Formats: sequence, C-alpha cells, structure tokens
Amino acid sequence: MNPENLKYHKEHTWVKVSGKRATIGITDHAQEALGDIVYIDLPDADTPVEANSELAEIESTKATSSVISPVGGTVIEVNEELAESPEIINEEPYGKGWVAVLEMDDESELDELMDSTEYERYLEEEAK
Amino acid sequence: MRVAVIGGGPGGYVAALKAAQLGAQVTVIEKSEVGGTCLNRGCIPTKTLIASAEILHKLKSLADYGLELNGSVSPNLSKMMERKDKVVAIQVKGIKGLFKSWGVNLSQGKGTLLSAGRIEVEKEDGTRDTVEADSIIIATGSRPARIPTFPFDGEKILSSDEAVTIKEIPKSLLIVGAGVIGSEFACLFSEFGTEVTMVEVQDRALSTEDGEVSELLEREFKKKGVKLFTGASVTRVEAREDGMHSFLSDGKELVTEKILVSVGRSFNTENMGLESLGIQKGKKGEIIVNEKMETNVEGVYAIGDVAGGMLLAHKASREGIVAASNACGKEARMDYSVVPAAIFTSPEIASVGLREHQAVEKGSSFRKGSFLYRALGKAHAMGEITGFFKIIADAGSDRIIGAHIVGPHASDLIHEVAVAMRTGLKVRDIAETIHAHPTLSEGLLEACEDVHGEAIHVQKK
Repeated sequence: MNPENLKYHKEHTWVKVSGKRATIGITDHAQEALGDIVYIDLPDADTPVEANSELAEIESTKATSSVISPVGGTVIEVNEELAESPEIINEEPYGKGWVAVLEMDDESELDELMDSTEYERYLEEEAK
Repeated sequence: MRVAVIGGGPGGYVAALKAAQLGAQVTVIEKSEVGGTCLNRGCIPTKTLIASAEILHKLKSLADYGLELNGSVSPNLSKMMERKDKVVAIQVKGIKGLFKSWGVNLSQGKGTLLSAGRIEVEKEDGTRDTVEADSIIIATGSRPARIPTFPFDGEKILSSDEAVTIKEIPKSLLIVGAGVIGSEFACLFSEFGTEVTMVEVQDRALSTEDGEVSELLEREFKKKGVKLFTGASVTRVEAREDGMHSFLSDGKELVTEKILVSVGRSFNTENMGLESLGIQKGKKGEIIVNEKMETNVEGVYAIGDVAGGMLLAHKASREGIVAASNACGKEARMDYSVVPAAIFTSPEIASVGLREHQAVEKGSSFRKGSFLYRALGKAHAMGEITGFFKIIADAGSDRIIGAHIVGPHASDLIHEVAVAMRTGLKVRDIAETIHAHPTLSEGLLEACEDVHGEAIHVQKK
C-alpha cells in the first residue's frame, strides 16, 4: 500500500524528505485514477514552486491534471526518464516514477501533510 | 452592368463569379495568378505540405497501430513541392474554368484606378490596356509585412511566401511571431526534423485565441521539442559563418540556419491610384468600407484583406459576394457576428465567436462547458486523443456565444456551432440532437451537455 515513510497531500501527491531535499511524486491512487499516463510536462530546474500549486502537468488516456506540490521550494532535479517513458509513473509511482526534487523553503509545511494512515482514511472518506 | 475586379484571390474571384451569376459583364484584373495568396502562397500550399507531415507523423507511430514497416520513410522536400505545385495548378485551372463557364474575362496585368469607372492595366510586356466598368471591386489583398530588423533575402531570412517554396529542409529555424502562420510552420517544419525555435512578443502563442487554446498548443510545442520564447522580440540579426545570429530583447542570442518572419501582413494599397480618387484609408493602410463593402467613392468597393479586419480567405469571399450583389443592384450587407476560423497546427484549432477573456471583458454573464477528446472512443480508435471542445454560452438565453475546438478535424467540426450561432439555437438544441456514434462530433454534444453540468461521459465532480 502507501509507504509509511512518505507524507501525503490531499491532491494525491507524496513527498519524501531527506534534509532540505523533498522528492515528490503522485500516489498509487492518483495513477490508478488517471489511467495510462501518456505525457508529463516537467518543470525546469531552478523553477520556484509554491506549496499547493502546480508542479507538473500529467496527461493520461483519460484526463489531463495537475501535479500539486505538497511543499514549496525550488526545483533542483526532475525525472528526465519520464519525458520518454511517462508510463513509469503507472508502474512505480513511489519509486522510479518520482517527478521532481525540490529544495524546500519551509519545512514546517510538512506538518500540514498526512501520514500514510491518515491518507488511507482520507481515500476511504473520498470514496464515500 | 459592367463590373471590374482588381485582384483574383479568394475575395476577387468569388466576387467576379457572383457578379457574373447576377448577369454582369465581368473583368478580373490579376497581376500574377488567380487564387491569390491563399491558393498560390498560403492556405492551399501549406495544407498540402501539412498533409505530408501528417502522414510522416502517423508513420512514426506505426507500431502503435499494429503495423510494421519493412524499410524506411523520409521526407523528400522536392517531391512534396512537386505535389504542392500540382495541387495549386489544379485549383488555378479550376478557377479559370469557372471564369470561362460564367464568361468572366481575365485581364492579366497590374491594375491602376484612373477614375471610378476606368482602370488601366499594365501588362507584363509593358503594353497598356484600359478597362471600363460601372462598378469596381478592389481585392488586391496583402503581403507579408517586412520590417527593417530583418533584411529579407529569401534564402536565410524568409517570409511565408518563400517558406512554401523552400528547397531544403533547414536543420534549424527561428520563427519570429507565434501567430497563426508562425505556429503552422513550426508544426510543419518540426515534423520534418527541423529544430524550431519561436519568439513571440505577446505573452503566449496565438495570443488572439482563447487562453486554453494557447495553453494546449504551447504544451504540444513542448512535446514536439519546439522552443518558444514569449514576451520577447528580435532586436537585431547578424549573418555569420555558423548561421544567423538573432539577438533578443531579453538578452538571449539564438543561432539558426534560417529565420522565418511571420509578424503580420501589409495591405496592397500602394501605387494603384487610390489617392487620386480620394479613397479613404485607415490607420493601417486598409481601405475604409461600410457594411455594403462600399468605399467613400461611389461605385468603388473594397473587399478582403485590403478592407481590413480578419485576414481570412472565407471572410474575403463573403465580402466579395456582398460587394458583387450590391454592385449588381441586389442589396446585401456583411454580418461578421459568426466567422469561424481554422488554424492548421498539429493538432488543428478552430474557433468561432467570443474567446472566454472577451466574454469576461464584455461583462456578459456566461456559462461554459468543455469535453476532452481523450474521453471519446473515436479519438482513441484513431489514436489521436489530444484536444478539447469548449462551448461558451449566454447564461440567460442559453445561446452559444463562442466555441473553441482543438484536436483532429477541429476545422470541420466547428461549423455545427457556426450554424447554431447564426440561427440562434440554444446549447440544449445541440445537446438534445442525437449525434452519431462513434464520431468526434460527440465531443461537441458532450461539451454542450457540460454547459448545464449534464455531460454523461465525465466523472462525478
């Protein structure tokens, strides 16, 4: 299920923190809902991104939707592999399918996010 | 009744045929080839080349369609140009055939107005002829604007005129201006393998279209590897050994093999006697006309690009019909409220009526509905799922005030909405009309349903 070492945003993105580095991706639920992902519009390095704003845009066979950044910061790395093979997100949303790494501005923003148990409860609520 | 038409483009030749059909004795004065820019250097040549690009694009994804190619496919520009010339020739011949059939006289040469009833025609061999007429319709069109920043040579610095006769596919190309023409060429050349960069002074590509349209096209540019720099202009160019160096207003320097300048068009209103007749022109040099296409000089009409407004072949043609009708004593007026327009980028774009920002500016209370191509079975079957349908409707009357389609066959699909708008149909009239399945038209149906939050094929919000 959803890894316990990650923090989750209600827009179905996750963040993995290591010091000031925040690796961000979309959740398994998100990739499942989107269906086959055909394209991801990745941000450029050095782009400033605010928490709760669009980090990237994903196109699937069903929809186009925004990847909402759970935290604010500056993009320091993007997953270039996704440009050629966006389907990696479907295959490994929590692993090789990560989207970007930000250098966080404000670590306290992490407090706003859910842990895996809370996120699963949130999914159950949403499904009702 | 004698009618003379100066210029045989989509405005002039249609005016000529209409006047002939109404019983007039008609002469068309054309200095190069009938069909004008549209047929010889614009719409038709580009669409012919785009057809090759589309096939090439499909071939690149053959495997997705379960097809195997044993061999390779590559663009042969000179063959494509041959095909284009053939297509153009057929159309030109077609117009000449129609002229013959309706008894329209074609006078080859450059026309100059001597009076409101006389035109001098200067032939290519230098001889002169005079055409007398009761009414004159000016339809001389426009040409690519040439701004001094760019020393056009037709080789390294091109206008769209030269871009459709280019001999080799450039390795890299800077397109100045991301309007309709620039965006079409960007898609075309990038398909053929050219590394395309665009510079646009406005803050987005296709700045006169709906914002969502620009957004989608810009994303498609990214997918194609077309680089777009907005909010910038080219201040200086320099030819060096390694290519053309372009210096941008934001400090960037770009190096490309060639430059295509598509920053607008200039009206062909010079040296043709307009001043001697006292025909009024507007700020941009366009001829001022009323809704009957009459200039301030009695018996002289102006239509198409020279009359200003939208630079569209079909707008010119309609104005030609209106001018010819009035010239032949059958009163007609132009109605610009519903003029669909198509842009042949990949994917195609089509629009009619208001853009969303215009609806906001007008302060109208409106509702909008949209639907994605990727939610259509037909789009998936075709393997072309990028695009959307967007309907903007008056909240009170439920009448459609604007529609925007991006995606395959957008240019054909838009007319259902154009008819609805012109006849004052309501959104519900389209939504309640059964649309055949599986078709792309179902997208319009669903977008109309979505205006009222009643689209069937959308997830619960």
